[in-house]
Amino acid sequence: MAATLVRCLRDTLKIIDWAVISVLGRPFPPSDPCLAVAHYETAPEKTYSLDNVFDSAFLWAVPKHRTTIEKRLKRKFGSPDYGMKIYLPKTNLLECNTCGHHHEAGVLCSHCYEKVIAETKEMQEKIQENLGLSPVEQDVVVLYDNERQKEPEEFWQGKRIVEMKKERPPWFSKNLMQRSTQSPASSNDVKPTELA
Amino acid sequence: MFGLGISGIKVIADALKLSERVVITYSQFHSGRIDYAWTREKNGCGKWLHYNKKIYPPQTPDEEPRSAFVCHVKRNIKYSPWKMWYIACLVRGLTVEEAVKQLTFINKKGAGIAKDTILEAQELAVSQHNVEYKTNLWVAESFVGKGHVVKGFRRHARARFGKVEYFHCHYFVRLEEGTPPEHYYYHTRPLTGTEMLDNWLQEMRNRRIFGGL
Repeated sequence: MAATLVRCLRDTLKIIDWAVISVLGRPFPPSDPCLAVAHYETAPEKTYSLDNVFDSAFLWAVPKHRTTIEKRLKRKFGSPDYGMKIYLPKTNLLECNTCGHHHEAGVLCSHCYEKVIAETKEMQEKIQENLGLSPVEQDVVVLYDNERQKEPEEFWQGKRIVEMKKERPPWFSKNLMQRSTQSPASSNDVKPTELA
Repeated sequence: MFGLGISGIKVIADALKLSERVVITYSQFHSGRIDYAWTREKNGCGKWLHYNKKIYPPQTPDEEPRSAFVCHVKRNIKYSPWKMWYIACLVRGLTVEEAVKQLTFINKKGAGIAKDTILEAQELAVSQHNVEYKTNLWVAESFVGKGHVVKGFRRHARARFGKVEYFHCHYFVRLEEGTPPEHYYYHTRPLTGTEMLDNWLQEMRNRRIFGGL
């Protein structure tokens, strides 16, 4: 009687197993090793709704009224009150008497000035070569060919001489190097003519 | 046709077949020239320079003498056509000397290019177009066209994208021999006393009484 009972129980269990497999497609408990997945909260999915669009300041700045055709054309092509975009011929262009090129009134002739720039650069390079980084405690005098002989040697004492191995350019007048500031007066007396 | 069979078709094919493979080119078939937009731009031609080649019939003694002119163009300048337009407008109606002088003092990339084009045109006028004095030229026409456009995209912040366009332009110029007219644009000329009076009279006469017959 106990054997029959056990047999019945075993058969019932088999039927249950078979039913589980037919329903689930796999036996329970599972025959192969498998992972137990614990439930966790997924990160909220990014949904692109209409709110997102309005939140990110995408449509905040918007024209209130239609720009008139006059305003549009003025902005596009410029106008005297808005800001002139059209170029007008300049009337302040003069001809340089020396070289014949044009320049704006009140501005140096660019063609002539370029010569000056080139010469200045040469002078500066020569000075750099001679003096290097030593401090400038004495006057620096730049001399061209045959200029040293014109003055006695005592004149050049106490001055740093930089010789340029070329002829003086014709446009470079010696008078340019004259000091514009006056040296301080040796006496305190004021001449009667210079009284206020 | 249906009853011919393979052998029949072969006979017809042999009859139609020419001795060698013949290719009939466009030029053999059509009498006109190939003038697609892309070939035109590729060759850098277009119709502007054809005006230089036009031969006019001899003029009668009564006719006003036709002044010499030269058409010149600079193609696919890497500059925006809308910016170049301002420079082209400045130069219209000026003598070549004045135009070059004014362009020297415009602080724009296009100004240098326009100046080069005008000087090239001046040289061509003297060498090829029977102009006697190179200073006796004025800018009759000066305008701009759109050239190649290279398109691309660029990234912005927050997953936004922008379209990027790199424009090229063509600069056209026509120099004419002689002195330029007093006023290049007829509508902006200063009106004479008679014209102003006529206009005023017309305005007065155009007035209507509101609600009248």
